[in-house]
Amino acid sequence: MILQPEDFWSFSQWLLRPGAFLESALLQGIAVAIFLMILGLLFGYLVSAVRYGPVEGFYAVARVVREFVTKDLPQMRLRRIGAMARLAIKEALRRKVLVVVGVFIVALLLAGWYLDPTSNDPGRLYVSFVLTATNYLLILLALLVSTFSIPQDIKSRTIYTIVTKPVNALEIVLGRILGFAAVGTMLLVPMGVASYFFVSRGLQHSHEVEEVEDRAGELRGSTSVELGHSHTFQLDEDGQGLTELQRGHRHLVTRSSDNEFTVGPAVGLLRGRQPIYGSLEFLDRNGNPADQGLNVGYEDIGGGYGAGGLARLMGRVNRRDVYQHGYVEGGALTAAIYSFGGLDPNQFTDGLPLELSLRAFRTVKGDIVTGVRGTLSVRNPETRAESQPLTFIVKEYEVDQQFIPVKLRGTAGDVVKDLDLFTDLVTSDGRTEIVVRCIDSGQYLGMTQADLYIRAGDSSFAWNLFKAYLDLWLQMLIVISFGVMFSTFLSGPVALIATAVAVLLGMAAEWVFELSASMTPGSRRNLGGGPIESLIRLLRQDAMTTDFDLSTVPRVIIQGIDRVTVYMLDAVATALPNLPKMNTSEFVANGMNIFGALVGRHATAAVCYLLLAVMVGYFFLKTREVAG
Amino acid sequence: MNLSGSTRRKLTYVLIIALLLVPLYYLGQPLEAASTEAGSGGRLAQLRARYDLSEGDLGDIDPASASMRLATLGMRGIAATMLWQKSHAYKRRQEWERFTATLNQIALLQPHYENVWEHQAHNLSYNVSVEFDDYTQRYDWVRRGLEYLMKGVRQNRKAPRLYWQTGWFFGHKIGRADEKVQFRDLFRKDDDFHTVLAGEGINIDSAEARGPDGRPDNWLVSRLWHNRGYDLVDGGVALRGKAPVPFYSAGPLSHISHSSAIETEGVLDERAKESWMRSDRDWNTFGERVVPTTWNTTVRLASLGDRVRRANELKTKFGEMIGDLPQKIYDERLALLTAEERQAIDTPEKDRTQEQTQIAQRVVAGLFPSYTEIARAMPPDQRLAALDLADRLARAEEEVMQVEAYRDQINYTYWEIRCAGEQDDDMIDARRLMYDAEQALKQANLDEAIKLFDQSWLKWAAIFKKYPILMVDVASEDLIDSLRRYQQVLDNDEFPDDFPLVEFIKTRTKYDADPDEFLRLQARQFEERQIRGKPEGAGPDNPPSNGAPESNSSPESSEPAESSDPVESAAETSEEAAAGAPASPSSPAEEQRVSEPNGEGSPEPK
Repeated sequence: MILQPEDFWSFSQWLLRPGAFLESALLQGIAVAIFLMILGLLFGYLVSAVRYGPVEGFYAVARVVREFVTKDLPQMRLRRIGAMARLAIKEALRRKVLVVVGVFIVALLLAGWYLDPTSNDPGRLYVSFVLTATNYLLILLALLVSTFSIPQDIKSRTIYTIVTKPVNALEIVLGRILGFAAVGTMLLVPMGVASYFFVSRGLQHSHEVEEVEDRAGELRGSTSVELGHSHTFQLDEDGQGLTELQRGHRHLVTRSSDNEFTVGPAVGLLRGRQPIYGSLEFLDRNGNPADQGLNVGYEDIGGGYGAGGLARLMGRVNRRDVYQHGYVEGGALTAAIYSFGGLDPNQFTDGLPLELSLRAFRTVKGDIVTGVRGTLSVRNPETRAESQPLTFIVKEYEVDQQFIPVKLRGTAGDVVKDLDLFTDLVTSDGRTEIVVRCIDSGQYLGMTQADLYIRAGDSSFAWNLFKAYLDLWLQMLIVISFGVMFSTFLSGPVALIATAVAVLLGMAAEWVFELSASMTPGSRRNLGGGPIESLIRLLRQDAMTTDFDLSTVPRVIIQGIDRVTVYMLDAVATALPNLPKMNTSEFVANGMNIFGALVGRHATAAVCYLLLAVMVGYFFLKTREVAG
Repeated sequence: MNLSGSTRRKLTYVLIIALLLVPLYYLGQPLEAASTEAGSGGRLAQLRARYDLSEGDLGDIDPASASMRLATLGMRGIAATMLWQKSHAYKRRQEWERFTATLNQIALLQPHYENVWEHQAHNLSYNVSVEFDDYTQRYDWVRRGLEYLMKGVRQNRKAPRLYWQTGWFFGHKIGRADEKVQFRDLFRKDDDFHTVLAGEGINIDSAEARGPDGRPDNWLVSRLWHNRGYDLVDGGVALRGKAPVPFYSAGPLSHISHSSAIETEGVLDERAKESWMRSDRDWNTFGERVVPTTWNTTVRLASLGDRVRRANELKTKFGEMIGDLPQKIYDERLALLTAEERQAIDTPEKDRTQEQTQIAQRVVAGLFPSYTEIARAMPPDQRLAALDLADRLARAEEEVMQVEAYRDQINYTYWEIRCAGEQDDDMIDARRLMYDAEQALKQANLDEAIKLFDQSWLKWAAIFKKYPILMVDVASEDLIDSLRRYQQVLDNDEFPDDFPLVEFIKTRTKYDADPDEFLRLQARQFEERQIRGKPEGAGPDNPPSNGAPESNSSPESSEPAESSDPVESAAETSEEAAAGAPASPSSPAEEQRVSEPNGEGSPEPK
């Protein structure tokens, strides 16, 4: 899993973006709110002006605003909201939404045919499957349930019954949203529980002991092959031992008094690692700081973050900030330096457990049998005392565990001596550096910021899965909010399409940003231009890499219109929620703990979208009420 | 609370559906790939296994595949396209597990599209495997590609090409990779994979699959896979998408590769000799196989000698019948040429203008009479017999050309001779002595090394005398390295004139300067073995005059297809044709090869 820059931000960094306030979420949220308010008032005035004339229209809009501030908002009651929510729940249940759970259970039953438990990382496959299936089902449910409710009430005139209760528009909208969210929660809970048991039971396995031999008093053996792998193990004098790590897990092997061997269930198969990440910088071939590591020519993997907020719309940022693997060259002065801070000696009394997921790149075949070798050393950023290098052989595409002991040899002030990790190599405020180098000449080691971390501990898989489901719930809440909002002024099917478009456009925001960036003057990337230019190229079967073959005036006009169109599209897409970015299933699939900051950010964004949707929905419903 | 009728009905339906899920699961559970136990998998899968039922006679029934195709509701193509794009994205992002899972899904949607299995198996074994630094992981991914392909074979039992691909992968990906030493060793010890292979019907426990150490050998397993393909085609399944010669030669070549590999690994005794003998048998069996050609005829690659002999006999007979008639016809035609034409053909080739070249090409083709033309010019009482003989002679030469063309596709002669030479006791001894000498050298036992080398050179010299073509064999590259080390040990730059391998060194030098030397050696070897019978002691001491074989009609000596330079070969051929025009009149086959005379204006009588 390659984490991108925005994944490392704390909540306050995301909200305020110190040093880049234009990209902050807070500014973006305020800008969107103000923009929507102005747009809404303008639009409302235009509609009212058409109906009642310019002066009356103004007063109609002013009346709506006054009623919101003086009547509807202060007189909002939780009891009435709850009643509306209950109504929404009953309505949804009447529409047999619980069948979604049945569909999900059937999907789980049949999933075993399509999922391969013998793959190298079955946990990732299983977790990805359950979370993706849940995600799709929930979003679909949210779309269908939320967009037809209010239009149905309006069509059947039951809305009049409700508003005369009296239930104001704000309570109607909020109640519906919360009601449908409750229905979604009723579905999500059994799906989550079923997923948990499906994953844990599906991957749980054990082995038989196949052979055991006594080597100089040590009992060593191997297990049978299950799910495409086996283990070797070594027992201590008490007849107990752990197998070696295979596919991210081990088993406990015990020998009973009557010489029977038993292999316990898998341990560590499903977990949530709690990493402490550091910052990463590289040294070039001369040993000087470099912007990034060496590029060995791998294709751009995509992804990344195109900068959000107003900075993007102001053209301050026009490229993605994406982490790709940087490489250090073997036998040269190149190195990668991970800088950590805030280390507490009380937390790591035995030493520092590190986990690495580095890549190797060979320019020569070399020694086929031995992997590419690297070294790790710990360095004090202030005194420059450094431990002796700890050699390792790279293990690609799996997590390699290394351990830095508390007592180790190293160099301090040109003297080689015994060092203490926290006394000599970590500063008083808990900062240290871990330096990674490659030993083998002509070979390279590749890494990103997230590829080396200190493992602070493990959170439980169940808790991690819960957080992932919480993110799914937040996504569902956003879709429901938008669905209800659109349904206040559109018919059911149209509201459904509008919500789907909003969701898809939000998903495509990064792509729209790339397109917009490619259309700026001086951009070297050509994606085929905007909508009109693309249409012309399609009809003429021109490749998108060729120049736009048109005479000057029409070309300038068309490209100008396209630039404005794409810019507006980018503005809208940026304002809309990007649901895939709220998806934290990758963390769970890769056994990494979902950061609390991430969940906090997603929750904040979801609540803000909810509030915006409620406000917009209220005003539209109020306008219809006034019109009625 | 009383339930209404409608609710009761609905509850009943739901209950029935839930109950039906149980037998559906019981029926539809797929058979596990590695499982050979009775009772594993659903009922359908068991029936398929027991009665060898196939989905439309194509391959195994896979309920997962069938249900997935149904579930796409007619949009299978779109789903498959999206999955292909997804797989490419995963490959680019190096997410291998998801990539594999996507490939499995693609296979479920397109189980009978052979290219899918071939392409993606190649992806796994060749492209994904090299992304891993650890060679055991690379082997693991090679194995995954092989398993993927075997799964394709299960689903497409009437697809000979997939069997061939599987055999190819087993042979070349394991046995020719840079890591071949490691991969072959891992394969030998991979008991789990052997179990899987046994489940696929490969007789892994038989002597046919086991190498000298008693463990399965990848090359022999490759050969078994190829044999299954051959059985399929022999049983009446059409071979599509694969030319017959490369298809049928792969199995015997796998056996040859096995024999070569075990010698490289140090097996230099009776086991190696027996392996080469079996390889020889395999190759001869292949040579006797009837192979369809693109001329709508069939050939046997081993029949070249017989065909050449027959053609020579007919040619001799025809020559006796026609006397000097060809020369007369030639002279008559030459006399009819215009001055310009005459000048064109008289001018040496290198001095001709473009126009003269075109004229010469046009004119020369018409100067030499064909067999039929000669026969028509015979006296009336002999004409009929001459025409008949001319026709038979032309067909005989055509057949020779066809067999040669197909033999050239896989260098048939070379492998035939190699198999014969390698099983020779002298060869085994030569290799063993050289190997032992190298070991002695590694242990710095120089006297012993020199003694063993000297013995080895004598054996090599004896082999090269019998099989000169082996002098330019890739296997003799080791000999060159050993000679170099021998020179270093003796601290000599030059070999003495009486050094046993002087001829080898000269030939290699000639070969390095001119790769056509290989063709000349091959032609000589063929003639000695096929036409005159296998000679004892024949070799470089008795070369044919001027480097060309004695029999003018020995096709391999004048066969332009074997020359690397068609212009040069055409000129060569035209010179020979011009030189031998009267006694060896041009045939339709030869007419195609004739381009220009020797520039002296008249053919020289043979």
